[in-house]
Amino acid sequence: MARGINKVILIGNLGQDPQTRYTPSGGAVTNFSLATTDSRMDKQSGQRQERTEWHRVVMFNQLAEVAGQYLRKGSQVYIEGRLQTRKWRGKNGQDRYTTEVIANDMQMLGGRGEGGPLPGAPAVSGAGGYDEEIPFFDDDSPPF
Amino acid sequence: MARGINKVILVGNLGQDPETRALPSGGAVTNFSLATTDSWMDKQSGQRQDRTEWHRVVMFNKLAEIAGQYLRKGSQVYIEGRLQTRKWQGNDGQDRYTTEIVANDMQMLGGRGDGGGGSASYGGGGGGSYGGGQPQPQQNSRPQQGGGQQSAPPPMSGPDDFDDDIPF
Repeated sequence: MARGINKVILIGNLGQDPQTRYTPSGGAVTNFSLATTDSRMDKQSGQRQERTEWHRVVMFNQLAEVAGQYLRKGSQVYIEGRLQTRKWRGKNGQDRYTTEVIANDMQMLGGRGEGGPLPGAPAVSGAGGYDEEIPFFDDDSPPF
Repeated sequence: MARGINKVILVGNLGQDPETRALPSGGAVTNFSLATTDSWMDKQSGQRQDRTEWHRVVMFNKLAEIAGQYLRKGSQVYIEGRLQTRKWQGNDGQDRYTTEIVANDMQMLGGRGDGGGGSASYGGGGGGSYGGGQPQPQQNSRPQQGGGQQSAPPPMSGPDDFDDDIPF
């Protein structure tokens, strides 16, 4: 019995090709960054302004394999999952926290293109400007 | 025109009383941590296990005022909003990133209790630490704002302070 709801729904574009790795137990883990952009009217200037948000997405097993095979930088995708924050150790030994979306459902959108950046896709360089490389989710046995 | 969807839906319980502050512009901002718990069957042991996730929630203006007035530690609440990651500087001068849910809709759940444990939806689940008890954020690897964390992210200072800061 769940005593809560923890649900995330995203539609966005991949900032780079997904990275797929295999855990010692043989399961696949795929990571990528997803950009969602919305625009709003700036009250002061009266101009329409865009706001892009970056999300770290993690998938496991079958879903991870499909994503690794078919998604590319620029691909548009629907993601459904849950939020999870995990702790890791920074270079200086301090604890850091990173929030990710653990996806449990995915739909590829935007046609069958091979995933070059879409006309509207934001330009990105890498995973989104994090100074320190955040280690991948390395739990060998995700609790699903 | 939006070129994307960024939606979060949470139903959970507050880990502490919400904190409400006034913005220089006169609007209100309210912060709190929300715990969502779900359980799953552990394949190896065959035991049902609980998993609690902590979320940082921020609200502005009218919603912030209502939340500050009516929500209390333990309150059960439905939250709808969007994910937002912002950058801040740690004590060591290094950049940190914190992901929050910026709520744009809220429903109070669990009856009219004062949030101290009267609701039937928590306190009896076995292994949960609600029901007036002390949720244990440390055990769940989740920083709590204002919880004496050595280097906790500062509260968000306004609804519009992110546009220029995040170097994406």
